[in-house]
Amino acid sequence: MSILPATTVDFFLAGLEAFMRRSGQGTHWGVTVLRLKSKPDAPTLTQGWEQVHAQHPMLGARLKRQWRGWRWVWETHGAITAPPICWHPAQVLPPDEAVIQERLQGRSSAGALTSPLWMEVFPCGADGEHVILLTWRHALLDGTGINLLLEKLAVGSCTSGPPLLTATPIDKPALLYKRARPLMDRLQAMTTAGCLSAWIKGMPQNGRPEHRLIELSRDESGEAVARLRALCGDFMQMPFYAAMAARALRLLHEGRGWSSPEIHLHLPIQLRGRSRELIFGNHMGAMPLFLDAGELGSLEQTVTHLLEKYREAMKQGMPQASDALTNLAAHLPLSTFIPLVRWTNMGQICSLFHSHTGSFLPGRTEFAGAAVENVFTIPSVSAPPGLGIFVSDYAGLITVTLAWRGDGVSQAEIKAMEQRIRTDLTGMAEERPQ
Amino acid sequence: MPEVPISPAAVIELLTAEHILEPQEPITPDTDLFSMGLDSMAMMQLLLLIEERFRLTINPAEMTRERFATAAALAGFLEEKRRLAA
Repeated sequence: MSILPATTVDFFLAGLEAFMRRSGQGTHWGVTVLRLKSKPDAPTLTQGWEQVHAQHPMLGARLKRQWRGWRWVWETHGAITAPPICWHPAQVLPPDEAVIQERLQGRSSAGALTSPLWMEVFPCGADGEHVILLTWRHALLDGTGINLLLEKLAVGSCTSGPPLLTATPIDKPALLYKRARPLMDRLQAMTTAGCLSAWIKGMPQNGRPEHRLIELSRDESGEAVARLRALCGDFMQMPFYAAMAARALRLLHEGRGWSSPEIHLHLPIQLRGRSRELIFGNHMGAMPLFLDAGELGSLEQTVTHLLEKYREAMKQGMPQASDALTNLAAHLPLSTFIPLVRWTNMGQICSLFHSHTGSFLPGRTEFAGAAVENVFTIPSVSAPPGLGIFVSDYAGLITVTLAWRGDGVSQAEIKAMEQRIRTDLTGMAEERPQ
Repeated sequence: MPEVPISPAAVIELLTAEHILEPQEPITPDTDLFSMGLDSMAMMQLLLLIEERFRLTINPAEMTRERFATAAALAGFLEEKRRLAA
């Protein structure tokens, strides 16, 4: 048995999952889809898969409280045996929404998934195309981890285990409180203003995980990247895409006649000092941002406003405040964490979930010997917030995933948001009904 | 307060002292910063630190890969900004 340090985000995700289970929303799963132009090499894929499991005992890890210091740690129990890769029989179409929905519920046709990581290969179409579905527990993997995992599987080799992690020193509660104070003040102000998500009290929480893919063509993706660079340079992808997501949610609020003076974003940011070689275990911290709903008139205006807020939040030490607040909360029982957040945030957690953690497989054109067409992820979301807008990027090809729960968002709302997102990203005018 | 001189060494000092990069080996003016772990998520922090340390205002749209590729390239860009602002 060995013990690995956990981060506050590990605690956040475990708390979120505890809340999801209690409210009938199941376990927090995500799916990564790889579209390949030909059949991947089975021995390469199997070798990489087995080596990843052999080298990373985190795949069997359990988050537990350590008596010493009362802190959360990952407890592992040695090498894990890889579950077999499931090769499906040839079919005409790629796995449909129902298959992905089943995986997001932690199930396959054979029953419940019994490992936090599953791989399936679907031969589909007459041209030798194959689709790989990787189903993963969000408690163990994030966007950065998925990319690292894909890098190993792409070449069929994972010969080293995780880097040596050192636990961060335990800060005194008084110091954590002082550091958390800017965010606590901000959250208090929000309680007065009120930030809505796609979910409000009275709406169902236990609907099935749903999703819609907005796949931009090569030309549309080129337009989006050009807009992004013109507004945010080569590095600020997150503010650009977060602005797009905030505007889509604002549209949903307007359509419902809801008034949310602010949009509360919870953006992932890279934890400093966290190894980039770590596949399993979270790399991200959370950056809370509060956008004034009146400043979301156009994408350009939203980006400018968001960058101002981003600057302001960084200056106020919001990432550190968020980490300190979660650290303080980590002293509480896991099951009380999200209820406490919701109590502070008038029943909400944040306005929506959103992420863009960079490009998948940068510089790589092949995966296990097969040419890659596209890679994207489909995370599930909890209610609240009831809506997630995620952006995937493979070789400049942009795919946006809208994720929601059951009947929490209507098809008409999804269609309207899709149209708004396409317009925002590409700059092309919305089609208006005649 | 006098202006802090801009140089590749000053940029390297900023990157390491403020933990934007945590390199295993020393950074030279021509080291590829991206291979050392400079990522998009650290860029806003770096932007704020540059503005504070060198008293320059940078528009995020000006943050291109070429300008931030090495400490030398970044120092050159910042010197040019300061010269134009003078």
